[in-house]
Amino acid sequence: MLYTKNDLNVIKDEIEFIDTAIIPVVDIDMDNLSMNRAEHIEFIQLIIMMLEKQLKGRLLITPLFTVVGEDASQVEVFNNQLKEYGFKNTIVLSFRELSLEGIPVIKINHVPISDMDKDILESMVKDEMTIVLKEIIRIWNS
Amino acid sequence: MSSKVTRRQFLNYSLMGVGSFMAAGMILPMGRFALDPLFKDAAAGSDIQTSIKVSEITEEPTKVDFTYNQKDAWYESEVTEFAWVYKDGDKLIALSPVCKHLGCTVTWAGDDGNPDKFFCPCHNGLYTKDGNNVPGTPPRGPLDQYEVGDKDGFVTIGKRFENELVK
Repeated sequence: MLYTKNDLNVIKDEIEFIDTAIIPVVDIDMDNLSMNRAEHIEFIQLIIMMLEKQLKGRLLITPLFTVVGEDASQVEVFNNQLKEYGFKNTIVLSFRELSLEGIPVIKINHVPISDMDKDILESMVKDEMTIVLKEIIRIWNS
Repeated sequence: MSSKVTRRQFLNYSLMGVGSFMAAGMILPMGRFALDPLFKDAAAGSDIQTSIKVSEITEEPTKVDFTYNQKDAWYESEVTEFAWVYKDGDKLIALSPVCKHLGCTVTWAGDDGNPDKFFCPCHNGLYTKDGNNVPGTPPRGPLDQYEVGDKDGFVTIGKRFENELVK
């Protein structure tokens, strides 16, 4: 499920089934690494789309959580809200190491996607999505 | 006697001629519009050609990808979806992989304990091979079917409809 009016309306009644919130955290600092970050954002959106297709009925994928600077503590505030709403699990997807209290973080590898052929890109996204998928299922089963 | 055309006759003929051209000009397009639905061969939702050969399909459900263009508001994109296709005797059967519970993607034999069933990883939903939901698991109905065909030896996928294998 995504953060849209229709999906949120479903979640309201099905919170016992849709019990996991995914928070994709990306950096949007404007400096000489911005181009890398832009690539990250593009890549994570492709992963999210695939993930949504696979596990639509159990995940809420929140809008991209944009962070400026080192401090990502706002994620914890958001996490608390999600937990209060009724999500049993919250999982952060991120390209950098984040140490957040009580939230599992799945680190996504940087892949230089900009010059990639469409088929290769698709298989890269699929591979990365599979890693994330397995990690989510591991968290569910733990 | 040479048949002389009087001025009155000449004018009558030419007016009739011009008039009928004008009438035809108006009526023909209208007629074409009225008959148009008959000439159209189900363009919308027509069968999509896939790259899987019919001969490759066995009794074991196989993933068959198909691609079509989808328009969201002003953005058009290429969407790839897939169907589970298998042979029941000589008949091809295509099932939608979208779980009828909350829309996850189901896999064939995804659960080690149920090698002959469709499995939904989200809430452990199960479906039999004909798409029927196994009672006691979360799904609320059987998997949808796709129209499926054979064009020059390749599988084609058509419209989706409610499961008719399960009575």
